[in-house]
Amino acid sequence: MMNISRRNLIKTGAVGVLAAGVSPMLSATSVFAQGETVAVGSLHDLTGGTDVYGVPSHACMKMAIAEINAAGGLLGKQIELKTYDGQSDIKKFPQYAQQAALQDKVVMLQGAITGASREATRPVLRRYKVPFVYGTIYEGGLCETNAISVNTGSDQQAIPLLDWSFKNLGKKVFYIGADYNAPRNIGIWTNHLANQNGGTVVGEEYYPLDVTDFSTAIAKIQAAKPDYVHSCLVGGPHMAFYRQWAAAGMLKKIPIVSVVFGGGNEHMVLTPEETDGIIVAYNYFEEIDTPANRDFLARADKTMGASRPYINGIAIGGYTGPMIWAEAVKRAGSFDYAALMDALKTDIEWAGPSGKMVLEAKTRSTIQDMHIMQVENRKWKLLETQSQVRPFDFGGACDLLANPRNTEILVPKV
Amino acid sequence: MDQVLVTAIAIATGIATLVLISLGLAVIFGMMRIINFAHGEFIMLGAYATVLSTNAGMNLWIAMLVIAPAFVALVGLGCERLLIRRYYGNLTTTMLLTWGLSLFLVGSVTALFGNTTRGIAAPLGSVTFGNYSVSVYQLFLIAFAALLVLGAALFLTRTRFGLIARGTMQNPAMASTLGIDPGRVYAATFAVGAGLSGLAGGLLAPVSGVLPNMGASYVAKAFVTVIAGGSSVLVGTTGAAFMFGPIEAIVSLISTPVIGQASLLAAAILLLRLMPMGLSAGFRRST
Repeated sequence: MMNISRRNLIKTGAVGVLAAGVSPMLSATSVFAQGETVAVGSLHDLTGGTDVYGVPSHACMKMAIAEINAAGGLLGKQIELKTYDGQSDIKKFPQYAQQAALQDKVVMLQGAITGASREATRPVLRRYKVPFVYGTIYEGGLCETNAISVNTGSDQQAIPLLDWSFKNLGKKVFYIGADYNAPRNIGIWTNHLANQNGGTVVGEEYYPLDVTDFSTAIAKIQAAKPDYVHSCLVGGPHMAFYRQWAAAGMLKKIPIVSVVFGGGNEHMVLTPEETDGIIVAYNYFEEIDTPANRDFLARADKTMGASRPYINGIAIGGYTGPMIWAEAVKRAGSFDYAALMDALKTDIEWAGPSGKMVLEAKTRSTIQDMHIMQVENRKWKLLETQSQVRPFDFGGACDLLANPRNTEILVPKV
Repeated sequence: MDQVLVTAIAIATGIATLVLISLGLAVIFGMMRIINFAHGEFIMLGAYATVLSTNAGMNLWIAMLVIAPAFVALVGLGCERLLIRRYYGNLTTTMLLTWGLSLFLVGSVTALFGNTTRGIAAPLGSVTFGNYSVSVYQLFLIAFAALLVLGAALFLTRTRFGLIARGTMQNPAMASTLGIDPGRVYAATFAVGAGLSGLAGGLLAPVSGVLPNMGASYVAKAFVTVIAGGSSVLVGTTGAAFMFGPIEAIVSLISTPVIGQASLLAAAILLLRLMPMGLSAGFRRST
């Protein structure tokens, strides 16, 4: 037990103040491309409401940086990971992004998982010309030269998942989502794909993030009699829906598909009798049975320890992000911003634990395999793999080679 | 017919949930005038006590109905003795204090158990009415909430401790001249309030996502219900729950859940504008 006396506290406090005072000077001497190291930033929610996404993503990012350093670094330099805790507080994101860019001189920043935090971070990094690697699944349609999306947009998840569902489960879907931008956007996708597949959306409901009583939702769904439910409920309070749905005996009657279920490890928190049979689509899950993935998991066990979090389709972006960025830096031959942006004008290919990934020059989004899978006793069972699913290009609307100044998020037309 | 029944059950669930999550706060805030921002965390602790002891092999019903309230009552007692009792009568300080306590509890539980804990499923299965099926556990929650209100009413009005507690809250100086130690009554009342919150957490554990920050989704609704209920703890809180529960459920059913939530808040604002002392100020006799 540490002995905390008032004197000690004052001493450590004073040291802290001193350290804070000199740190700008320290970082001034380590301007990138001159010292032995370059800095890369991780800006994830490590505490607060959305830490369930941030903590595993950050752990994967740390692992990627450690592997790059162990293999001799990048362009002969060791990478120093600067960690910023977004604290599940939107205000912190632009502040830390600015600190990372101006004070810590990072050559890349990854994180800002929730849509709101991404939108708060993106313009800051654009202004200071710091490449923004976006590692999470998201609603899709991000189309900006400075934003490198290494995970999937909901189009890459929803198109395979809903095509499969309209074919195998039935034509009538009930959409239920959390009430903020990403689930609303996925609602648009659901309508779009229903039209494409000759299906109908028999109900569409959005719930504020703190709702915990879903009895009216369940009654509405039962009244609408869909063939399946598409759920985009997000976060801890919304887990209550799956509990109450199963408690009402509905899990066995109407199947649920989702592009977000499992991202917060819902299938671990909830019991098998509440989740068995739920169908999702992700680019990665630990149960992928390939030598590359088994090797990746063995390394993860070693670096993160036995109590490491489950690496799901969101967390994997923490690992693939720095790796794909490193490929691009090697191609550029420099950490220089303009050189990197030039290098990204051709496709960048990299093979990781989830197979081949191609960062597309036109969309700065990533082509990758998508897996449709089902919960079975807290594990994922593969139903179908669709190989090399392209990011949706919105009828050519997202073409960063032709139109490099676009920063808008694109949505499909219903 | 079945649709009417299912709607009625959804409304009753709304009321029962509000009663369960508000009762503990009604005691601590309504009776003792302590703005307990850690109320949601007391609910969370009850849920964790239930989940962890059930996972360790304890019978679910014992975990829910005995261990959860007992454990949280003990935590409440500890908080009262160590922190709260120093600041009675000082609203702002207790507010900051309990807010800090809330952050501390969320942080401690996250540090101890991480942000993913294996939960437990609702027992009792489901029952079918025509085209609809409903969870039996949901019906149990409704019945239990009704019993709890009845039990609390009897406890406050018919037992010696209930009388002493109400007397002490109304006039501590007078109570102490009658040979009652207000400090002990405060401690016991705080523990009972905390225990009720723990019980709510235990009961809600099988139907909610048990996570360190789950308290945040209950605390605002609990405060709205208790404040709108007014000075009479039990009648007011139950009355407010009977008003807000149906408003939210019915508006959610006929329009959208967002408007349902907004209508609950609009009803609360309207109520407090018309009856600034709360709903129970309109009742003649109060419990």
